[in-house]
Amino acid sequence: MPEEKTVIELEGINKTFPAVKALDNVSLSVKSGEVRGLVGENGAGKSTLIKIITGAYTKDSGTMIFEGNEITRNSPLISKALGIYAVYQDVMVTPDLSVAENFFLGQQPKIGPFINWKKMYKESREFLENIGLDIDVRKSIKELSIAESEMITISKALWQKPRLVIFDEPTAVLTRNETKILFQIIDELKNQGTAVIYISHNLEEVFDICDTVTVLKDGATVGTYTTQELENVEKLIPLMVGRSIEEMYSKKDTEPGKELLRVENLSGERFENISFHVRAGEVVGFFGLVGAGRTEIARALFGADFLKEGKISVEGKDVSIKTPKDALMKGIGYLPEDRRKQGIFLQQDIDFNINIINFDKVMAGPIINYGKAHSQARDYIDKLSIKIGSIFQPVSELSGGNQQKVIIARWLCKNTDVLIFDEPTVGIDVGTKSEIYKLFGEILSSNKGIILISSYLPELMGMSDRIYVISNGRMAGEVDKKDFSEEFLLTLAMKNIVSREKVKEAV
Amino acid sequence: MAGRRERKTFTEKNLLIILVVMWVFLAIATGGNFSSWANITNLIRQSSINGVVAIGMTLIIITGGIDLSVGSIVGLSGMVFAIFTSTRGEFQFPTIVGILLALGISALIGLINAVAVHDGKVPAFIATLGMMTLVRGVVMYISGGRMVTAVPLEYRRFAVLEFLGIPALAWSWIILAAFMMLVLKYTKFGRNLYAIGSNEEAARLSGINIRLNMYSFYIVAALFSGIAGLMLGTRMAAGVPTGGSGYELDAIASVVIGGASLSGGVGTVLGTALGALIIQTIRNGGNLLGVDPFIMQMVIGAIIILAVFFDQFVKNRRKGEGRKRLFKRA
Repeated sequence: MPEEKTVIELEGINKTFPAVKALDNVSLSVKSGEVRGLVGENGAGKSTLIKIITGAYTKDSGTMIFEGNEITRNSPLISKALGIYAVYQDVMVTPDLSVAENFFLGQQPKIGPFINWKKMYKESREFLENIGLDIDVRKSIKELSIAESEMITISKALWQKPRLVIFDEPTAVLTRNETKILFQIIDELKNQGTAVIYISHNLEEVFDICDTVTVLKDGATVGTYTTQELENVEKLIPLMVGRSIEEMYSKKDTEPGKELLRVENLSGERFENISFHVRAGEVVGFFGLVGAGRTEIARALFGADFLKEGKISVEGKDVSIKTPKDALMKGIGYLPEDRRKQGIFLQQDIDFNINIINFDKVMAGPIINYGKAHSQARDYIDKLSIKIGSIFQPVSELSGGNQQKVIIARWLCKNTDVLIFDEPTVGIDVGTKSEIYKLFGEILSSNKGIILISSYLPELMGMSDRIYVISNGRMAGEVDKKDFSEEFLLTLAMKNIVSREKVKEAV
Repeated sequence: MAGRRERKTFTEKNLLIILVVMWVFLAIATGGNFSSWANITNLIRQSSINGVVAIGMTLIIITGGIDLSVGSIVGLSGMVFAIFTSTRGEFQFPTIVGILLALGISALIGLINAVAVHDGKVPAFIATLGMMTLVRGVVMYISGGRMVTAVPLEYRRFAVLEFLGIPALAWSWIILAAFMMLVLKYTKFGRNLYAIGSNEEAARLSGINIRLNMYSFYIVAALFSGIAGLMLGTRMAAGVPTGGSGYELDAIASVVIGGASLSGGVGTVLGTALGALIIQTIRNGGNLLGVDPFIMQMVIGAIIILAVFFDQFVKNRRKGEGRKRLFKRA
């Protein structure tokens, strides 16, 4: 291995978002030729840290030293010029240009003023052949599969000879063979003396490829360990989670009532053979890693996505749900994951946002009775103690947390029997979170059922009566409240992920 | 805070003020000619056909789309009516049958637009640009490029009818606009329009049937163009092959001046009506003042840009950043 000097050194990094302390005095240093794993739960601060390194976010305080020089001003352009290259899950290459052009972007070989296409194609083809990728360099990126284009992004890392490469969940869309090539590329980077930061939820993979692991928890560094001293994944998990469940998740134990919803052998685009049921007065949690298929299951059940097969029955009666409208008629509601894109009507006022699915209750023939509509909106604003000027205020003036509460008000007013909450507290401050949890109690007390999808285990364990664990599109297990433990749930969540042992053998 | 309520009609209020200022100025500048009852009713009558087309355009722009085919539909509707009812033609159908045929065919064009935009995922600009050319071709083909005259008497007479001193054409516009204002505010159809225009995915997840609604919007928009075509036909007392050419631009201008956002979700029928009146006031007033019509064209163009500029400026200032950016040097 070449000289072992420190490539990047972060010292006492702090970053606060409105109402959330994202990073608290985080330090991290990576040497050249070192592959460092960065692990932690969702919300632990991994992405924030990476974005500070790449200059997408500015740090509030702390120092960043890159190859001996302190970086005081950073931006995506500056970090790129320094030799920091990041591979994100979403493809970063220019989709309309060819593979070859993407490699040569900004530095195309020229003959006089003209681009030397021949040289460009030849060099990029040879480069890809060398690392074992069989991709036509004349094709535009958008003609490639997601995995192929991600491989192009990854191999571009090698091509650009950077000083530090950051991989953020690189294997989520890759096949086994492509993962093998990725690992070869990382080895090659290592030999070149490049420092590598590797983020993955797949801890087996982290053990396979990383020399050292830094664990983040709630925005703080737990510690940095060599993979040898950790020995195995089982010893890593407690470091990531071991935190007492806060008192805010205080769901009262309730006796479940009659069965409201039963789903059998649901199969769709990204999941298969999913069966579960929800009873009155019960919160049913859904846990899984990012991309496991929880949202897809919920959307298919709600009629928003295509459902290949499966049986859905509501209160014992078989029903057919093809559109969200069908689901609403059968008493199923869904609060989407991405409220900005899928929930809120940003240009409209609060009244509109609450009433849009609730006009049915206030119609006088074909005419909306606005007197009644306004008063039902006000009722639910009061019920949820949403602080607003008036219901005619544009919803865009509210904070993210209050927008989320407006959407919850919309659905509470609709009064469906089963309500699916998909990551309801993402990006919401602690105070609002606990208010939302309190609302759960109210919903349940009127004999409704709740499905709670969340990646945040303390929340899920604190609020659920039962948890279904989804792993790679399949049901990995149903866990009762008495058996809840973060270790057990995480182990189940990784159950169906293709074993990396075989990959390791192949490498 | 009751004051919040007013913000919604912010644009309408400003437009009304602008209109009144223009009218007062013109009344003085023309020595009262502008403010004569005859001229005011004439102004409203002149605005009425564009005004009706623009009601339909408002719907489409609120969805986030645009409809360039409206002018051609105006031409088609008038021509279809003339061909089927002309007393010198081969059909000589009664007026009511002619009206139903004209509106039916207009609705059909709207449906095809909707299928192309919603199901075919063709951008509305392209789909309706193609339809504009296609429909104009149809009008030319069925008429042989010639005027079709000898339309029924009661049809011709509609254009000169008056009620309470206001022309029937103006009444048509006022009634249709008032009706659509109520529909957009007080029916689920109207609320769905704003929901789909603000956030189609959120609308879908709220149980709104996007296809059915989009079909309705485009069909209703085309129907308004069809009605405008009939209104134009009564004024011309004939089917005119080039009838309605360029009307899409006036309609879009009215909607945009009226405060609608081309990115969807925002816009009102009242704003559009005021926008249509402002455009016509400039034409009419300029005429009375003897301003070169070519200069009037420049003024209208500039006003469209200024209207949107002003709107953006106000929006940005609300966010507290526009002023800084605009007047950096000051």
